[in-house]
Amino acid sequence: MRANDAVVGVLLIVIAAAMVAYTATFPAFPGQRYGPALFPRLLGAGIILCGAALVVRGLAARRMGEAWIAAGDWTREPGKPLTFALVLACLVGYILVSESLGFIVTAAAILAVLFWRFQVRPLLVLPLAVASSLVVHWFFASLMRVPLPRGILDSIL
Amino acid sequence: MTQFTRRGLIASIAAASAAGTLSRESFAQAAYPSRPLTLVVPWGAGGGTDATARIVGALLEKDFGQPVNVVNRTGGSGVVGHSAIATAAPDGYTIGMVTVEITMMHHQGLTELKPTSYAPLALMNEDPPGVQVKGDSPYKTVKDLADAIKAAPAGKFKASGTGQGGIWHLALIGWLQAMGLKPDHVAWVPSNGAAPAMQDLAAGGIDIVTCSVPEGRAMIDAGRAKSLAIMAAERNPMFKDVPTLNEALGINYSVGAWRGIAGPKGLPADVQARLVAGLKKAYESKEFTDFMTNRGFGIKWADPQAFAAFMEDGDQKMGAAMKAAGLAKA
Amino acid sequence: MDALSAAFVLVADPYVLWVVLASSLFGMFVGAMPGLTATMATALLVPVTFFMPPVPALAAIVSATTMAIFAGDIPAAMLRMPGTPASAAYTDESYAMARKGQLDLNLGTNLVFSVVGGLFGVAVLIVAAPLLAEIALNFSSYEYFWLAALGLSCAVLIATLDPLKGFVSLLLGLAIGTIGIDPAAGFPRFTFGTVELMQGISFIPAMIGLFAISEILRSSVAMEGGFEAVEGKVGSIFKGIGAVARRYWFNVLRGSVIGTVIGALPGAGADIAAWISYAVSKRFSKEPEKFGTGHLEGIVDATSANNSALGGAWIPALVFGIPGDSITAIVIGVLYMKNMNPGPMVFIQNPQFIYAVFLIFILANLLMLPLGWAAIKSAKVILRTPRNVLVPLILIFCVVGSYAMTNSIYGVVVMLAMGIAGWLLEENGFPVAPIILGLVLGEMFEQNFMTSMIKSDGSFLAFFERPIAGVLGGLTVAVWGLFAYKAVRGLSGLRAATA
Repeated sequence: MRANDAVVGVLLIVIAAAMVAYTATFPAFPGQRYGPALFPRLLGAGIILCGAALVVRGLAARRMGEAWIAAGDWTREPGKPLTFALVLACLVGYILVSESLGFIVTAAAILAVLFWRFQVRPLLVLPLAVASSLVVHWFFASLMRVPLPRGILDSIL
Repeated sequence: MTQFTRRGLIASIAAASAAGTLSRESFAQAAYPSRPLTLVVPWGAGGGTDATARIVGALLEKDFGQPVNVVNRTGGSGVVGHSAIATAAPDGYTIGMVTVEITMMHHQGLTELKPTSYAPLALMNEDPPGVQVKGDSPYKTVKDLADAIKAAPAGKFKASGTGQGGIWHLALIGWLQAMGLKPDHVAWVPSNGAAPAMQDLAAGGIDIVTCSVPEGRAMIDAGRAKSLAIMAAERNPMFKDVPTLNEALGINYSVGAWRGIAGPKGLPADVQARLVAGLKKAYESKEFTDFMTNRGFGIKWADPQAFAAFMEDGDQKMGAAMKAAGLAKA
Repeated sequence: MDALSAAFVLVADPYVLWVVLASSLFGMFVGAMPGLTATMATALLVPVTFFMPPVPALAAIVSATTMAIFAGDIPAAMLRMPGTPASAAYTDESYAMARKGQLDLNLGTNLVFSVVGGLFGVAVLIVAAPLLAEIALNFSSYEYFWLAALGLSCAVLIATLDPLKGFVSLLLGLAIGTIGIDPAAGFPRFTFGTVELMQGISFIPAMIGLFAISEILRSSVAMEGGFEAVEGKVGSIFKGIGAVARRYWFNVLRGSVIGTVIGALPGAGADIAAWISYAVSKRFSKEPEKFGTGHLEGIVDATSANNSALGGAWIPALVFGIPGDSITAIVIGVLYMKNMNPGPMVFIQNPQFIYAVFLIFILANLLMLPLGWAAIKSAKVILRTPRNVLVPLILIFCVVGSYAMTNSIYGVVVMLAMGIAGWLLEENGFPVAPIILGLVLGEMFEQNFMTSMIKSDGSFLAFFERPIAGVLGGLTVAVWGLFAYKAVRGLSGLRAATA
């Protein structure tokens, strides 16, 4: 997804203005002229200046006929937007359920979904997904002692 | 992975009956601890707190026969890790190392957590602050330095060792107050821990560092800094030549950074008893004493009741000192 | 010299040697796979190194990156796809050579001069780092402030094709870095009352998101199974290398010098080094018209440069804690985790570790010769690895790696957020490397500014009073003067073009 520089510039200015406004709630540093608010304010000012420069550039490009927002070519190919959304959904899903389901179950599910979507041979999908998540869990949780969530398999691990 | 070997089964039955909880339910769960424990450390891997936690963890692991995973939950000046300990499930499988900051952070308004948010288990260590100056500093004794500080205008001398309102900052404030000076008579330069402060000291950027002596050891050994005194009741056996403030100035001021083990509130009594027994055994082991004294770390034990009282006392002292220095949130 | 012998003992440990070999093979593989970069290899290695002692942990990173930068040349010649961005500068040239039937000569040249360039960079690192560390021992917050300022300035000036967008990326990185407890007053900024945000945006999950997740998002919609390599067998790759060395010895030297210097400059790494040395080679060549038609000269320069940049990048990383490229940005994180806080003190406290890193660098570069030969020979098999299996697995590694850094789901959240942000930014022509530099240098910049102001009782003059600080400050001001001059000239050029 490619946006015209002017669109990006306006977005940056809005974000930076919000950031600078929020620094008004920061306390002063006892006995000092500069406090925690100084640095974010300087950065905010910098981003606003750059945003303005991007707006100027974007408007020039717009006059040459550039679209405000142009989606990438792949978005028009059948199935590709769904694949893209599926990858994001897998990550969001991991964040939401891994703590209760545990790493092994969640990872195996994600791998199975993605293998299936990327057209790995159907017979291989499940064995590959389960085996890989077990190996990853063994390596990181048992050898490296990363406290991966145990979830519903807690009692048998 | 639970392995049902005969010996393991017999051992768990024995342990369960010893704890007086043998019943059909506990038979299914076996005795505590029946699976790996997590020991949360609110500070980074490789530091002094981490090292202490790792030796305690290793000794507990030996005693319990279950893995004890030391997990660093860093950041937020210790708030993140302390919060992880307090909010864990009170089943005895997640405990953590709490540090002196728990008596300080809530005065600053950084968190709601305070010592009473935990089930205290054991105090393991306390390190007093030192007074370090540059290796080629004109001040040969802490008395020279104290006289120079008294004679200088406020803000002339700069000291560092940790962040604004950190334990070593309060140590400086306490020392200044004990000498009858204002808390900001020596300006505090916040630093990202003791190591960068010691480097800035050697580079001539600041005049005094009030971190503990073991933390400043590398620079002291390299001859680029020297320790003039420690703010403690007794000398440290690893640094015998460094006098106490009492010896040098007749000031009886001592404050320290301490580390202890605590769990979330609401631990079952039998679990707590088992943990305290394990910690006591670890504390009394030769491995622990050797490890701590080799690094110059002080050792100090307190059982749950004494530890709770110790924290409460420290909490009040810190609150008063921080209020006096204008560091506490009104 | 006690430290040196201690370092030999550390490196000769069979475990360390095993780690070097395993991570070299890993680096070869990652480098040879288009779409997987040397930075990504490092990011994926971090969770594995987390529980290793310092020396094997650093050994893993050094070996993997050394191999990856060379291995990127293989698919460049065979598929016209650079394995890592560091090979992008001469990918077309290499592919043109392969099509002329000179695949063997091309790969042999790449391998041998990657080794030579790599060793050159290491030699400079070995000589320069301890000398600089001795000087840096006398650095106070004033000097560190200017170093951070200089590093941030370089990142904008040389490291990006579009300085305006590079500058925006840098500012965004710095802004993200202000989340969490502020370094001077200890006040929690932009945390909105959450405990997790008080730890700030964890650097390594952010890095994994920016570099790996954004790449996974891109490749998820460009999945085409394996790759088809060019026709033609790989023969004896070392034939004719002697003649190349005699003819182009000066190019090797020049490429290595440029590579080391650019590597040492903050923010610019192996990829920029290759682009610049290729351009320099063409500019000063006696036969510039041959460039682009499968001519070896520019490749010699650039392939030496990208490997020498690796060693160069470690100089500021070890001595000042300022990353020379995005790989050493991760290395600094690893050093902190191992309590080897980068800076001059590490040369006093743990000199044996520093020497061990040097030894491993030499070892890895020598090991590259046989392993690189093997990788070239088996390239067609490596390139047949099915991407539809690989990409989901990398996704899981990223998740585990981010989780391991914070020991909580927070790391995965940071990774995902930064992954989406990185993908969007790159789609719109904003480089992501300056974001990382901003995240790493932001706190150093602000903290040293604040502490300097406290020490000087609010006087700006103090920033120029100490001699080294004065020189560094003058340099920074000069860099910005140059930047402003270029910007003004560029603007008037733009007006002339649009008028």
